Formats: sequence, structure tokens, C-alpha cells
Amino acid sequence: MVVLVAWFVANVGNAIQDRDIPHGFSFLDREYQTPIGQHFLPYESSDTFLYAFIVGATNTLIVSVVGVVLATALGTFIGISRLSTNWLASKAALVYIEFFRNVPLLIQLFFWFYIVLALPPVRDGYVVADRLYLNNAGLSIPWPSVRSADAALAWIGLATVAVVAGIAVHRWLVRREARTGSSPDPLLIGVMTTFFIGAVGWLVVGAASGGAPFTTSLPAPQGAFDRISGGFTMSGGLMALMAGLVMYTASFIAEIVRAGIQSVSRGQTEAARALGLSSTHTLRQVTFPQAMRLIVPPLISQYLNLTKNSSLAGAIGYSDLTNVAKTMTQTAPAISIFLMIMLAYLALSLTYSLIGNLYNRHISFGRR
Amino acid sequence: MAEMKDGAEDIIVCRDVHKWYGDFHALRGVTTSIKKAEVVVVFGPSGSGKSTFIRTINRLEEHQLGEIIVNGIKLTNDIRNIDAIRRDVGMVFQSFNLFPHLTVMDNITLAPIKVRKVPRAEAQQVGNDLLDRVGISDQSDKYPAQLSGGQQQRVAIARALAMQPNIMLFDEPTSALDPEMIKEVLDVMQELASSGMTMIVVSHEMGFAREVANRMIMFDLGTIVEEGPPEQIFEDPQNDRTKLFLSQIL
Amino acid sequence: MIAGAEPINNSALRPPHSERGFVGWVRANLFGTWYNSLLTVASVIVIGAILLFGIRWVISDADWTVIATLGGQMIIGQYNTELACPSQNCFWRPQASLLLVTILLGMAWGVAGGGLTKRIAIGISVALAAFALLPYSFERMGMDVRLLLAANIPAVGLGWAIARYTPLGTGRGIALSAIAVFLVTLILVHGVPNVPGLEPVPVRHWGGLMLNLLLAVAGIVISLPVGIVLAMGRRSRLPVVKLLCVVFIEVFRGVPLITLLFMSQVLVPLAFPENFPQNSLFRAGVVITLFSAAYMAENVRGGLQALHPGQAEAARALGLPGWQTMLFISLPQAIRNVIPAIVGQFISLFKDTTLVYVIGMLEVVAISRAYIQGNTEYLASAKELFLFLGLVFWVFTYGMSFVSRRVEKHLGIGVR
Repeated sequence: MVVLVAWFVANVGNAIQDRDIPHGFSFLDREYQTPIGQHFLPYESSDTFLYAFIVGATNTLIVSVVGVVLATALGTFIGISRLSTNWLASKAALVYIEFFRNVPLLIQLFFWFYIVLALPPVRDGYVVADRLYLNNAGLSIPWPSVRSADAALAWIGLATVAVVAGIAVHRWLVRREARTGSSPDPLLIGVMTTFFIGAVGWLVVGAASGGAPFTTSLPAPQGAFDRISGGFTMSGGLMALMAGLVMYTASFIAEIVRAGIQSVSRGQTEAARALGLSSTHTLRQVTFPQAMRLIVPPLISQYLNLTKNSSLAGAIGYSDLTNVAKTMTQTAPAISIFLMIMLAYLALSLTYSLIGNLYNRHISFGRR
Repeated sequence: MAEMKDGAEDIIVCRDVHKWYGDFHALRGVTTSIKKAEVVVVFGPSGSGKSTFIRTINRLEEHQLGEIIVNGIKLTNDIRNIDAIRRDVGMVFQSFNLFPHLTVMDNITLAPIKVRKVPRAEAQQVGNDLLDRVGISDQSDKYPAQLSGGQQQRVAIARALAMQPNIMLFDEPTSALDPEMIKEVLDVMQELASSGMTMIVVSHEMGFAREVANRMIMFDLGTIVEEGPPEQIFEDPQNDRTKLFLSQIL
Repeated sequence: MIAGAEPINNSALRPPHSERGFVGWVRANLFGTWYNSLLTVASVIVIGAILLFGIRWVISDADWTVIATLGGQMIIGQYNTELACPSQNCFWRPQASLLLVTILLGMAWGVAGGGLTKRIAIGISVALAAFALLPYSFERMGMDVRLLLAANIPAVGLGWAIARYTPLGTGRGIALSAIAVFLVTLILVHGVPNVPGLEPVPVRHWGGLMLNLLLAVAGIVISLPVGIVLAMGRRSRLPVVKLLCVVFIEVFRGVPLITLLFMSQVLVPLAFPENFPQNSLFRAGVVITLFSAAYMAENVRGGLQALHPGQAEAARALGLPGWQTMLFISLPQAIRNVIPAIVGQFISLFKDTTLVYVIGMLEVVAISRAYIQGNTEYLASAKELFLFLGLVFWVFTYGMSFVSRRVEKHLGIGVR
């Protein structure tokens, strides 16, 4: 096998030289000169290859993070429904799981994509309270917009302080509860602290700079074609991608959550209930911590799958990393780009694995 | 035998308790009452309903007919009643059921802190005293998996005692233990009985029953076949099934 | 204290009415507590809305003609077109392959001697034969096509007879026959130069579900052994071998299959000498197989790690050399224990065959999509088409997981 691998590597090396295959990374500074559909970082065709690559990577990253959060929420909900003593809820969850995880993601993506495409054109689109616009160009929603950069930065600084203060108050109250046995709800007070400081900061910064740090940008039809501008528009491709990825991945997460919770023996819940712990306490203090040990490793691998599966975005017109890179190979050395993609996905995988490992170490307990 | 005041009030009253699992009739009209500080040993063949019976007392199993009154509170579906009763009734299981993700000390203090809102320091003080009482004060920072079976069961007893119950239920507490560990657990239980705790023990440890119990209850086919003081059960059993069963295990 | 207690009433009673039958079931499973009742009501509303909306759509609003129009293209793609098969009829070649598979099923029934295998074999052959009755005109679906489809029923019987009355009726016989059938299928579908009636059909014209199935079967058959080799390589004591296996596994698991597929267009030609014959089907097959093998390797490695060391020790104590211990003791147990994960990987490999669209191969989803984009009058019924395709894949994947669960139950996996 070693010989075989060496032979392949030698072949590739020879081929690059003999057949004059382009290679190297000098292209990264060149202008990319190709438009990218929806992008979250500002992008112009005159930007470089390197920057375009980063724009693509950001597109993938955002889909990945938002998708992971939504899929975890939906998957946990369905997984718990699967375990419900309610026959209807349990069977509905079963049908969901068996259907969504057994149908190829590509088919699901196309299904959602053509539903989105079949939405009415912009002029006849759905409008909710002049705030939400849903049509075949996508979904437009109100979005914060920066009024003055200085004020916005100042408030973001204050908001960070507010979060830190909230966490500090929470920890202090938890310790006090441990010491004295009684205290108001630490979580509630902590969150209230954060909101209070944030709100006061908003008013102070607003007063100092003559206006709120952020304003709301409302979507509205504009121009001869009534195209929606302002707010944030989620393109049809992105909507279909999100729907498909989240519903597909949630079916796998549901099974992981179900198996994790089921792995905690009945005796554990019985012992907790016999001690007088309420069902909420039993779930939080006894069942979940034990289930999480089994849930987290496969969950992380589902997060990675979701991230990798987001590369199907190209089929429905969303410019994720793979799609951008694929277009790049038409004007840049494919081997170099392949190396860059590998590194980018590797970095994403390592980040998720690292988070998972840190969490796992945090919850591991004495096993011989 | 532990001393028991005569004329003490009934702390547990069961009247014609029935329990079905699907179509299986597991408890077929159980009627008995247990007085404060009484130690009752329940025995009988496997599948006779003895475990089911003590599990209905803290409502780990729901009975469908009849009534059970514990500490003057009638067991119904009312969650508040159930929680109140579970706070006052401790339970020890055959398979220990310690929480594997918590240390010995956290196992013991979890319920007092979360349910009785005892300050942590105070709960730990109580925990240390209890560990002392069951004879494993040096193990409080270990995890259950690092202890022997006998030690785990003694932690389980300490954990139940930490809620300061006035009734303790033992569901075959020594069945999962190696012979040399049975004694250390029975010793703890004997000490507990002599301190005046009301105890219902499902067990086939006949030596323990003879020495500690005030009363023995023989279960078969979901009902009480015979009950009485240990001397009478051992020397002069009235019922044929009791005779047969005792002859098999003694 | 009373001795002897009260008279014993020992007869078993039926549970009270509120606990048994339909009423008891409803009470226990739907309206046990107030939040359970709330959940039931909420579920009924949601499920009812979905069913109401869904059924109305399926019956009155949906337009399913696109599926009928696509018809055979979904199954064999462009295979039987004038372009692929000039001046001859090629449809019989995939159909003959299908008959061979049915014969295999019949043989499996003959060996298993009834039960589930029998029901599956008969069910599949009857379902296939039922396609002969599709209400197409005879111009679109000729008598020959229909007869070859109907022949699936005698084929299953033939297979059963072969298993019963020839030496091929053993597990090993079926395995060998399966390999033979796969090779014959490849030859039939690909064709043989200069043989009348078997003119080669260029692989770029292969397509439809046939392509998904060919890729899946080849991938499944090859990825398991490759995965086992990789898993053993990863446990090797030779650092070079171990490093190579680790790098291979992690790279293939770390990058999306799509990326690997389109990169294979660029890289695989470079890795072979310039005159090495290859095509995109070959590349797709290689990449899908290796991708699946990397995951398979991790499954097998998990199984090996979970084995009790006593097993290997006992084998060594009996004097078995290391490689024999691995081959006859450790691997069989490890693989048996991870059958669920391996089948899961097979299923996901089958689902992944849809991704070869990136390198321009017209598997069933790609050809359906191309058809819709080429015939915009069907754009509005894209939903129906993809829903149908989803159901087609679901039948295959759910069937695989159903059979695997039965096998697991039979082997007692997961039961301790």
C-alpha cells in the first residue's frame, strides 16, 4: 500500500511538471472578477481571490453556526417527543425521523428550493405588516443598521460589560445560594442585570451622541421593479438550504438525543424521584448530565456533517465555500485551491472537535 | 429485636390496594398497617408483588384501587402530595442507583440542597456525619464507580437518610452484594432500626429478620399470605405456602 | 399483632374498566395528565392540519404528469436513446441484469427456506412485474419491455429451484453467484466491442436510478474490505503505514464528498499515467468508495476497540499467530458488533450517489432536474417530482434499515 501511495504521489508530482499543470499560490493577490450571490461580508468583483475565498468561507461558517443551533433545537425537541409517554407525540416524532433521515439531502434541498421558487414574484409577494416581505427573491426582514460607527462601538463595548456583569452577578448568587441555602433566582437576576446595564448604556450613548446607536433598517419596495431594499434579505437559495439542512440534521440529532436519554437507567430517575427531587430537578441534575456524555461526541460529528453537507448549496444557488472554490478552479490552479479547501474544512472540524472535547472533559467523571 | 412503643399510631395504612401491569394483576388487595418505629420484613417468592408493594408506598408505582395513607397524607395523583411523601420516605434500591456523575458527597447533598434548600455547608456537615455513621467517612470525594458494592449501598443509605425521613424502604438491599459485603450493610440497617426508624425491608436475610424485625409479612401471588412476629413465623407458621417457602430458603 | 391475618383472596381480577381496553389505552397514552392532554390536543391540531393540507394537495392540486412523462428516463437515464445506442434497442440489457438480480433473490429464498426472505423475494418480483401493467401506450412501452418485466416472476421461481436442486444452494454459492451477477451486469450494461447486439454504450450515457444502484453496489462491496484494511492499518505498529492510514482517513472524513468529487476530475487523472484508461464514472466510483471506506474504517476500528482483550489473549494462548487472531477472532466479532453502523454507512453511501451530479453524471435526481429545467412547463410540478423521488429513495433506504434490524435481532446484537 505504501508503494501504491508513493506511486500516486510521484505520478502527481511528475504530471505537474511534465504536463505543465499550473500550481502555486501567486493567484491569491489577483482580482477574482467574478460575482458572488448572497454574501455576508462586503464583496466587490474587484476584490482578490484570497478575499473572495474568505467571503465563501464566511458564507459556509454562518450557515454552519445558524444551522447547528436550529438543528440542535429542533432535534432535541423531536428526540424528547420520541420518548414522550404521549403515544401521538412519540409516533409523530418517529415518522419525522424515519422520513427525513432516509431521503437524500439533495432531494430535500431541491424540494424546498422549488417551493421557494414557486413563491409569487416581488410585486405580488406576501407582506406582513409592512415589515416582512416573502417572495421568490427571498425573505426580507427588518435588521439593525449602524447610525454612527463611534456610538455603535461604544454601545457594543457597554453591552459586553453588561454581559460580563450579568455572569458575575449570576455566579455570586449561585455561591450565595450554596452558602446560605436561599437566594432569589440567580439566572433571572443575572439576565435582568445584563438587560438593565444594556438599556441604560443605550440611553447614555444615545444622549451623548444625539440619537440611538443603532437604527432599524426596514425592508421596502423600491424603484421601477419594486425590488425590496433595506433590512436583511435571505435569498431563496439560503432559505431552502437552511430548511433542508436543519430538518435533515435534526432527524439524526433526535436519534442521538433519544439514545442518550434512554441510556440513563430507569433506576437513576427512580432514585432521584424517591429522594423527592421534582421532575425538573431530576432531568437537570440527574438525567441530562449523564445523557450528555453519550450525546456530545456523536452530536459534534453531526455538526461536522451539517457543515460538510452545506457544500450542496451550490446545487441551489447559494455561494458556499465549495461552490466559490469550484468556480475559482476555472481561473486558478485547482491543486492549490484543493489544498486551501482542505485546510478550511479541517479548521472548521478542529474547532467543533475542540469545543466538544473541552465540554467532554468538563463533564467526565471518575471511571476506573 | 428493636424496642417499639405499644399503642403508637399507624404511620402507613394500606386498604385493599390493587395494582395491574396491563392485564397482569400484581397486587390483589393488600391490607395492612405499619406503626411508628416498627421494623417490618417483607418476604416471599419472586414475582409475588413484594417489591411492587413497597414501591407503591412512595408512589414509584401507581396503585389503581384502594387507598394508601402515609404520614396522614392520602396518596393521589396530586403532585404536591407525592413530593411531600417522597421527602419523608427514604428508599434504598437493590442496584444502589447512586448517581455516577456525582461524588459521594454530592450524591448525599443533592436532594437536601435542591429540595429542602439546606445551605451547602450545612448539608455537607450532615453528609459527613452520615458517612461517619455508615462507616465510610474517608470516601466522600470519590465517585461511586470507585467504591465496592457494600460501600456503594452504604452511601445509598446515607443519601436516603440525608433527607431526614421518618420512614425507610429497603428493596432487597443486599441481593446484589457479595457475601462478605452483606454484613456491613446489615449492620448499618440494624443500627438504624435500633435508633427508632420506621423500616420496611424486602429481604430474604432471615437472620436479620429474626434479630431485628418486629413483624414479618409473607407475600404470595400479590397478597399477604401471613403476617406475624418473627418467632411465630419461624416456629409456627400457619399457612402451608409460608411453610413451604421457609423450608426452601432456610 | 394478628397472626394468620385475614382470609386470603387470591384470585386474579381483570383491571378496572378505566385501566383496560381502548379506554385504558387512551387514558394511559394520550390523557394521563393535564399536560399530556394538552400535548395530545396540540399534536392532533398540527398533524390534522398537515394531513388535511397534504391530502388535499396530493389529490386535487398536485400535478403528477411529470413523473409519467419522465417515466423510464428516471430508471435508465439516456441509456436507450439514439445517441447512446445508435440503431439498436439497448433497453433489454438493464432489464436482463434485473432478471439476474431477481434470480439471486429467488436463490436467497431457496436457501433461507421461507419466512421474511420469501416474502421479500416474492414481494419484489411481483412489484417489478406489476410495472408491466403501467398504462403507457405500446409505442412508449413496448410489449418486449413488458414481457421482460413480467419475467421477474418466473425468474424468482427459477432462482428458488436453482437453490433447491443444484449445489449453488448454499450461502457461499449465493455469494459467488452475486459476484458473478454483478460482473455480468457490468458487461451487459457496458457492452462488448464487436459483438452484435452488445455494442458498447459510453458511460456518459449511463444514468437514472440504474447508475445510483450500480455505484452503490460497487461502493458497498468494495468499501467494506478497504475500510477493514484501513482500520487495521491505523492500528499498525509500523509508523509509516499508520501515518498514511490516519492521514487518508482524516482527509476523506474532513472534506465534503462534493469537494472530493469535483477535485477528482482534476487530481485522479494526474495520479495515473497519462494513457491509463478512465472516465468520470470510474472516478466517481473510486471517490465514493474511498470516501465510504474512510468512514467504514472508523466504524470497524470502534468495533475492534470495544472488543474484550481477553478474546485476543485467548486466541494467542491457543497458539494462533497475530494475523490469524485478527482474521478469525477479532475481526469477525468486531464487525458483527458494528453491523448497525456499517449498514448506516451503506445507507448513507446510497444516498450519497445522488451527489455525482457535480461531475455531470445524470443519476436520477440530476436527470429529473435537467428535465425540469429543459421543459419549463413542468417547473411548477417540481415539488411533486422531488417528493416522488424522495419516496423512491425512502423505499430503498428504509428497506435496507428494516432488513438490517431484522438481521440484528436474529444475531442478538444490542441484547445483553
